[in-house]
Amino acid sequence: MIEFKNVFAHYEAETPILQDVSFTIDDGEFVAFVGTNGAGKSTTMRLCNGLLKPVSGQVLIDGVPTTELRTSELARRVGFLFQNPDRQICCSTVREELEFGFKAQDRLDQDARQRVDQVIAEFGFDPDAEPFLLNRGTRQLLALASIMVMAPPVIILDEPTTGLDYRECMKVMEVIRRLHQSGSTVIMVCHDMEVVADFAQRVIVMTRGGVVDQGPTFEVLRKPDVLQAADLIPPQIVDLSMRLVQARPELAHTPVAQANTLDEMADALAALAQKGGEPA
Amino acid sequence: MKGFLEYVPGNSFLHRMNPVAKLAAALLIVITCFVTSSFALLIGILVLDLVLAARCGMLKQTLGLAKAVTAFSALLGVIALFTTPEGTQLVALPFGGYLGTGSILAAVRIVLRLVACAVPLFLVFYVTRLNDIANSLVKILHVPYKYAFTFMSTVRFIPLFMNDMAGIMEAQTARGVEFDGSLVKRLRLMVPLCVPLLVSSVRKTNSAAIAAEVRGFNLRTSASGFKEYPFASRDFAAMGACLVLLVGAVALALLGI
Repeated sequence: MIEFKNVFAHYEAETPILQDVSFTIDDGEFVAFVGTNGAGKSTTMRLCNGLLKPVSGQVLIDGVPTTELRTSELARRVGFLFQNPDRQICCSTVREELEFGFKAQDRLDQDARQRVDQVIAEFGFDPDAEPFLLNRGTRQLLALASIMVMAPPVIILDEPTTGLDYRECMKVMEVIRRLHQSGSTVIMVCHDMEVVADFAQRVIVMTRGGVVDQGPTFEVLRKPDVLQAADLIPPQIVDLSMRLVQARPELAHTPVAQANTLDEMADALAALAQKGGEPA
Repeated sequence: MKGFLEYVPGNSFLHRMNPVAKLAAALLIVITCFVTSSFALLIGILVLDLVLAARCGMLKQTLGLAKAVTAFSALLGVIALFTTPEGTQLVALPFGGYLGTGSILAAVRIVLRLVACAVPLFLVFYVTRLNDIANSLVKILHVPYKYAFTFMSTVRFIPLFMNDMAGIMEAQTARGVEFDGSLVKRLRLMVPLCVPLLVSSVRKTNSAAIAAEVRGFNLRTSASGFKEYPFASRDFAAMGACLVLLVGAVALALLGI
């Protein structure tokens, strides 16, 4: 469990980045942080794995303040995928890259090697390939795999789909979904509301260094005041649903008003058409 | 001070000086530091450096910089200490060498000299926009723009590479690498990180080169820049003062002081 209690944080400059941030993320959750650039999302992620320590307040990982844990110790509990995989990749072969985390933590034993083989097979990597010669999407997958191979209970993803085309984006997100289904806690910073809507169970909305709102994804993404405060555009189907209700207030109590996915909207509209276009 | 070698806006005497005059004055101070062996003059130059830094409102940062240069030059000082057998013998060393009072003075002189000459050079970059340095070199000294741009890019990329290195180290820290501990351990851990740094550097420089090409880099001449860099009386005064300093240092050297 990750718990933020009235956290204030800033970098070397005096300007505060986070101000009085509090939230809790339970084990096994899939939480997305959304908000504009500079809202403090990445700083929050850095606080989660001890790369940054709070100026005041507490960040607790399984009840232990991050200030009391070494970053290497935190790395075992919290894996971190950076936005730019080229900052993470540093070895000359895919296999070495996957083994790097174990070496860094002095845990490269037979079990670790088996785990590396397993991940290579799972992702279909060429173990002898030169990582920097792989395409951007595959490098991102390799960076993700090098975190996954360590099997930390919590994984933080800082804009994991930035710069990827749709196919690569879905490939990365499907891996993340499987990871979440296997029991890991996934915390993701993402600007793509479609991805957030498709994958996250809960959303925490940030703006100007504070939390504006948090709750189940679609519940939050349907609040016009929150969307406006954080300058967010809802997923297309949610947007369509909200516009339809705005244009035809009588639809507010029909499935159209609750449709979050394409299938749900199609069913809702089909049902409406069957009734001659008028709500019951 | 925003970052290493990054311009800090201001309106001090140094900020208002002509970029070429600033460079010339800094170079004269550097030459003076290397010509003289006088402790009094080196200390005087160091004090002058600090006064200039204070006038620019960067005394605190300059002291930090001087501290870093001192740490680096201390290594050279230690080498000088053991390889300059001068003065009254204090400790006998193997192979007929010795550590004397002159050895200590030589070591201290190296540290003092490097700090005194590094500060004005760094100050030039902190009080001058890189574009102004490059453009004035092209306009006034007729340096080909290609070379001025290369120089400018080299300096501009230093903070970017430092930022990249910090990001790479952060990414590895998040994977459990501990960069604290002995210097040897830290170096051993940092060597593999040169690979991603090199890759990102090559990618960045390649992108910058392409961006420059598509914006007509090769068409640029010394007449392309609209901004003029006239010399003012303060520029002549500053260069004259530095020249007097150099002449004084040469005279002292000739007198054996």
